[in-house]
Amino acid sequence: MKKPELLLIDDEPMVGQRLKGGLEKLGCVVEICEDPARALDLIKKKNFDIVITDVMMPEISGMQVLEAARTASAETRVIIITGFATANLAREAMEKGAYDMIAKPFKPADLRKLVVKAALEMGYSDIKEY
Amino acid sequence: MPFHIRDKNARMAAPDDKDLLDRPIFSFRLQIILGFFTFFILSVLITISAMITINKIEKRIATVQTWDRFLFNIEQARRWEKNFFLYGTNLKDALESTGAALKILNENINNLDSPDYSWQKEEIIRHLDRYYIELNRLSQLVESNRTQPAFQNEIEANLRQFGARMVEEAAEMAAREYDMVSRWLHLLQKVPAYFLVFLFFLMIYMTRFLSIRFMKPLKYLVNQTRRIAKGDLTPLRPVRKFRDEFTTVEVAINRMLKELENRQKSLIDSHKLRAVGILTAGVAHELNNPLNNIMLTAHTLMEEFKDIDDNEKLDMVKDIIGETDRSRSIVHNLLDFTRESQSVMEPLNLGRLAEETTKLAVNQAKVRGVPIHIQIERHLPDIIGDRHQLKQVFLNLVLNALDAVGSDGKIHVRVESRKPNLVIAQVEDNGSGISADVLPHIFDPFFTTKPVGKGTGLGLSVSHGIIAKHGGRISVESTPGRTIFTVTLPYYPTARGAEEKPAPFEEPPH
Repeated sequence: MKKPELLLIDDEPMVGQRLKGGLEKLGCVVEICEDPARALDLIKKKNFDIVITDVMMPEISGMQVLEAARTASAETRVIIITGFATANLAREAMEKGAYDMIAKPFKPADLRKLVVKAALEMGYSDIKEY
Repeated sequence: MPFHIRDKNARMAAPDDKDLLDRPIFSFRLQIILGFFTFFILSVLITISAMITINKIEKRIATVQTWDRFLFNIEQARRWEKNFFLYGTNLKDALESTGAALKILNENINNLDSPDYSWQKEEIIRHLDRYYIELNRLSQLVESNRTQPAFQNEIEANLRQFGARMVEEAAEMAAREYDMVSRWLHLLQKVPAYFLVFLFFLMIYMTRFLSIRFMKPLKYLVNQTRRIAKGDLTPLRPVRKFRDEFTTVEVAINRMLKELENRQKSLIDSHKLRAVGILTAGVAHELNNPLNNIMLTAHTLMEEFKDIDDNEKLDMVKDIIGETDRSRSIVHNLLDFTRESQSVMEPLNLGRLAEETTKLAVNQAKVRGVPIHIQIERHLPDIIGDRHQLKQVFLNLVLNALDAVGSDGKIHVRVESRKPNLVIAQVEDNGSGISADVLPHIFDPFFTTKPVGKGTGLGLSVSHGIIAKHGGRISVESTPGRTIFTVTLPYYPTARGAEEKPAPFEEPPH
């Protein structure tokens, strides 16, 4: 059974560190990335099903990651996680084709629900919140 | 109401005015009065001396007349004498004329004295006496009707001798006096000319003196206002040893400066509030990161409590504590900036200050996706300054730079020391730059290029005021794509130097 491939980008190392286990338990293949530049390379090389990205990062913004992911594959679901959730940012993200946006601080379960929802929509059936 | 306040102030001078007012008064009124008084005294002196001279000339003329009369009588006597020897007549007339001459001489003997020269009074009198005696002897001889040709010849010789000497002397005296009179007249003619020349130069001097006296304080005041316009609000110091009408202006300017300083303080505060507003948005985001870490860690701990070992649990709890500390320092940083504080001048490391301040704005920069590079020289000497106010300056410069740059913006903050005793801090951005016509005005109060509602136009003016108060300079150079604001502050060797102690924020050696 094919597992959804997931890329999580946040310059805060703790975010990936804490979320990785839970997301893998859902049944995803999870790749963690703290450097958005490296993330852009990864996206070019491989089509991820779900990309979770922070917005405010040094040098490269989450919006650029969103654009790159959507350009690489229109199928990719991009979930934005941000501590600076404004209406403007949400509008911009939605216009650029983001799947959803979660404001920091959030509960891991909230993100997992969103990932499950996205995965189910993409046709991955054996994925569920535990 | 304002009049009451002003009156009160005028009566009880503020302590700052004391130096200005604690000087003897030497007002322009007094100076002008003194000038005119000097002029008046001079005129009086000239007039009096002219009157004395005229009086002297009058006396001289009288003397000349006396000598003329004397000479006339003597000459008359000589003519009669000659007639007597030629025709034997007029001897009585000769005696009469000689008597008259003698009388003139005796009557005027004291008036004929001259302070300018001495004359042979005795000689003339003696000669006249001898002449008179000889004439009398001749007269007696004629009356006795005895002919003694030898005796008569002797008398004639004597008469000729003394007569000639007398005429000669009298003529000389008359000529001398006449000469004196003409000399005095000549002098009298010259004096007004000399006086006019003197007056001319006196007036030039007075004009120059007065204009210098007026222009110097005016120039001083103009320079001072120029200095004040640049934001240096130190009160005027007394430059002259005395008070005059300008002192009133200086006192008024000092009062104005005080008022301006109060105004400046409230401007600084209000501008600070605005900066806090901008910062808060950034800080809120910044705070969300550690909060999120805490949330994620706590939830993970809760969810996987049974599955993970104690060490991992301990690590997670430590993470939570660490992230809480991080939150606290973020909040503390902002609070430190907003805190109402007395202005305290203390030794500061400008580099550390710039770094702390820049960190405040880093969140804001992250929002815009603008990287801020900080480059700080190690072992910076301490400057003396007000921590909060200087922070405000840096924050303002960094926020301005953030406003100036576009999406590919970059900001550099540099702090380094310069010879001989300066610490310079630069904030450089690669925005579109400031146009040359705007550049000279950017430190003016209420000058802004930002859209209405975005900028107050006070930031740089307030910064300028703060730096000026610290005895430093803030300058700007701008070309498209490169704008550098430079804050230059002096340090003094007396301040705790950083040479001895390691810079606290120095990177650890790798």
